Amino acid sequence: MANENGNAYALTTLCPLLEVSGEDTSPAALIRDRLHRVNTGASSPMAKVPNVYFCRFLILDDVIYESKPHHLEHLQSQYLVFEASLHGQLAPYLKGMWEQAQPFVRSMWQFCVGFSEVNDAASFTAYIQKCQVKTTFFFNGSTDEPLAEQLKSLYLKQEFSKFAYAHQGWSGKDLQAAFKDFIARVEPENLARPTWRAGATDLKGVVIP
Amino acid sequence: MAPVLDLHDIQGNIIKAYPRFGFCCSRNFFLRVSDGDAGRAFLSALIPTVTTAAPWVSGGAAVVDSKRPKITTNVAFTFEGLKRLGVPHASLQTFPEEFAMGMTARRDILGDDGPSAPASWDPIWRGADPVHIFISINASNQAALEQRYQEILALFPKSGLDLRSGHRTADGAELPYQDCSAIFDNGEATSREHFGYTDGISNPYFKGAGTDSSNVIGGGKATGKDARTAAGWAPLETGEFLLGHKDEAFEYPEAPIPNLLGDNGTYLVYRKLHQNVGSFDAYLARVGAEFPGGSEALAAKFAGRWRNGAPLTSFPTEQQAKEFSARWASAKLAIGQAKTQAEREAAKHRFSALNTEFVAFDYTDDIEGTRCPVSAHARRSNPRSALEFGNKGAFAGPSSLSDRRRILRRGLPYGDSQAERKDDGEHGIIFMALCASIRRQFEFVQQQWLNYGNDFRLGNDKDPLLGNQELDEQGNADGRMVIESDPNSPRPPFFCARLPRFVETRGGDYFFVPSLTALRMIAHGIVDPT
Amino acid sequence: MSNLAGKANAMTLITPIDGPVMALINKTIFFFLGTKLFSSKLKGLLTLSMIHYARWVIVSARDFPRLSQSQPAEDLDYSYMLFFSNFNGSWAQYVDSFSAAIPDGLDGLWWRNVGWPQSVPEQPFHRYVTDNQLWTSHYYSAYPMAASNDVKSAKNVKDKLRQFIGDSERDDSDAFLTRYNRLLKSLHHDLGQMAPTPIVSLAAQAVEERRRTDGRANA
Repeated sequence: MANENGNAYALTTLCPLLEVSGEDTSPAALIRDRLHRVNTGASSPMAKVPNVYFCRFLILDDVIYESKPHHLEHLQSQYLVFEASLHGQLAPYLKGMWEQAQPFVRSMWQFCVGFSEVNDAASFTAYIQKCQVKTTFFFNGSTDEPLAEQLKSLYLKQEFSKFAYAHQGWSGKDLQAAFKDFIARVEPENLARPTWRAGATDLKGVVIP
Repeated sequence: MAPVLDLHDIQGNIIKAYPRFGFCCSRNFFLRVSDGDAGRAFLSALIPTVTTAAPWVSGGAAVVDSKRPKITTNVAFTFEGLKRLGVPHASLQTFPEEFAMGMTARRDILGDDGPSAPASWDPIWRGADPVHIFISINASNQAALEQRYQEILALFPKSGLDLRSGHRTADGAELPYQDCSAIFDNGEATSREHFGYTDGISNPYFKGAGTDSSNVIGGGKATGKDARTAAGWAPLETGEFLLGHKDEAFEYPEAPIPNLLGDNGTYLVYRKLHQNVGSFDAYLARVGAEFPGGSEALAAKFAGRWRNGAPLTSFPTEQQAKEFSARWASAKLAIGQAKTQAEREAAKHRFSALNTEFVAFDYTDDIEGTRCPVSAHARRSNPRSALEFGNKGAFAGPSSLSDRRRILRRGLPYGDSQAERKDDGEHGIIFMALCASIRRQFEFVQQQWLNYGNDFRLGNDKDPLLGNQELDEQGNADGRMVIESDPNSPRPPFFCARLPRFVETRGGDYFFVPSLTALRMIAHGIVDPT
Repeated sequence: MSNLAGKANAMTLITPIDGPVMALINKTIFFFLGTKLFSSKLKGLLTLSMIHYARWVIVSARDFPRLSQSQPAEDLDYSYMLFFSNFNGSWAQYVDSFSAAIPDGLDGLWWRNVGWPQSVPEQPFHRYVTDNQLWTSHYYSAYPMAASNDVKSAKNVKDKLRQFIGDSERDDSDAFLTRYNRLLKSLHHDLGQMAPTPIVSLAAQAVEERRRTDGRANA
């Protein structure tokens, strides 16, 4: 299935915009402006949604003209492009997106064709699937682990590196004791905590203790 | 097919590393133009003294170095300098963005923060008004330098052109010039810099340079064959170092318009790099005591070469490096001791072969970094084929990721650190890099390979010698380096913690080194892209 | 608007393909690329190791979602290839790496796209990409301080650490030390610590600083 690569899932959607917004500005311009104002990093609404590695939102106004001798043509509609690289299945992800980021979803999809019918996770999921286009080729240059595992791994890499530097040359006895304390602190099997915070851009706030 | 370069049109410092030819002292000074006419008149008067890349040997073997000048002089310009000298806006805007901005404005890209920030730079680099003209003179002794310096000052018009002062010196005075010199040992010029490393061993080799073709070994790009032989290397395209010639991307490098302004010219990055010699010695002593092999081995791991210059990849132990050095020294001696022409030729041949061993290696046999650490300075600044990570055939060429990131290096040390080995004071390197694209070559290496580690898969780890190491929350040095251990021994890797900044920036800027043709056009005020 | 989220960079391209027949050829190329037989073709991309996830999506007019009768149908002669990448570094810095290291691979992936100039020489290739680029209005990365290399290496650390904990449960201190040293050796290239991205773009940095100041002002 071209949308998948192992347990990673490539969601690509082209959500058609209405022609008019009912306000002074076109839907495309309005939504673009809203997107530009969304908080980034750990404060992005997407940071609360489970299992999204990366996602992007943009407005596709039109196709691009390659100049003569190539042919000039136009799109009849504009599209909200929502593209995401996820872990796992699509339906649970979209349910999570509706549950964790509903105000954001309602705001960004407000002027998409047919979106007024969406009022719960199920109808949102169905809507997105109608807007989905099939991925031709999905390249995974990373891992396909659940996001929680990736974040835990990053946390462990950072902490273990610090441990290794700090305990160079220690005797077996002292090292073993220190390592025991270390494991008790970092809890390698506990994905909930301590771990790295999704979307964090600074070392100061990155650890969820 | 190699281009036939008009060496008379190219400034000599691009093609030749003057210190290799006995010009062991240099003086760098910078001028400010306040009147375009005056500036141009000065340039016209200066041009006859500008040293070109024309060969210094003519006639038969009996006539050696007949054309070698006693003193060399070269000239370069900042973007603001070109503007003041009347280069039209339509041409100015065809120069690259980073050159137009100047080095101070690029400090965030370069990592010139904390103690390397412009606030700590020599006053000449800190003014609101950048320098305009850069003149560098090289000679074999101080008296000759002073002589040429005075000759050039005598060419100054009555007004409209000033010598900028503000280069800090050891006694706290500020001078209107920056002197540098090879470090001397028992009256002999060495290639060492203040940390004790032999410097300037490796430089790129490109088509048409006309220099000794054996320099392609280690200096060119890798072919994938045996790196110890010439078959393992091919010359780089001229356009990586000279505008107006084909580069490694099968096109001409981006260049200013009209083409006569850019052709045969290049860019020069000038950086005064202070060296914290005290901290370096202290770190080597303290951490070297714990490091297997001791301080000398630790120093070698930082650089990727033993301090005598022997590359770690080819000479992994101190014993091997010492033996190599001894062989090299006696081969050099043998040349002088040769009694016949034939003997001298044979001795030269043997010496040349040994000389090549300094550069005839690649990292493909040492991908794991157990001989030369992945984080070592030489490996970071020129990874050769290392970035294929042992996956033969992954890229168009084994060194494809390195070939467009090469720089010509032309600097010399400044100041004295032999009397006292300390941090404060005035001692370091005047670093000069020449390349066709400051952004693609110098800035990329500085930012992605020295001050960062992702291309080497080392996270944010920095170059142990030149990296802009951070401080921790308590304000202590927080640099790090992993030194890989021998795979056959049970010893774990060695963790170098608390690396401080050994090198700090004290100023500099970006310059354009025009051809002689372009220089004349600028001097006559006739540059016109119409 | 930004294409950057810490160390990650969102590259989005839309390029025309010369009609349904060519689109089918392009799709076939991708199909074979995904099979074991041709996986060596991806060796260059994998060795560059700068990409987290990337995808190519080829759409024709009828693939554009039409959700109501009142929405006009798309009427296009060309098919279009959408490319979405999450990679590390700035395009300005790394275009030369892609063009120098994997030009044949790039030419295969964008085979005969309308106007495609070939990936060597580099300047026309750079211009083509910039001309056909779409800028992202909101870009999210779950780990802005991790490059693709960091994520992969972190998995290695986690896996080996978990294994080590199990293996060393009954070790005495000597055995523990020996096993620990072996663990460090196996992770010698995975212990680089992470920090925010270097400033690869002064423009992006300025926007980021303004955002932070505005944020504080609006807080």
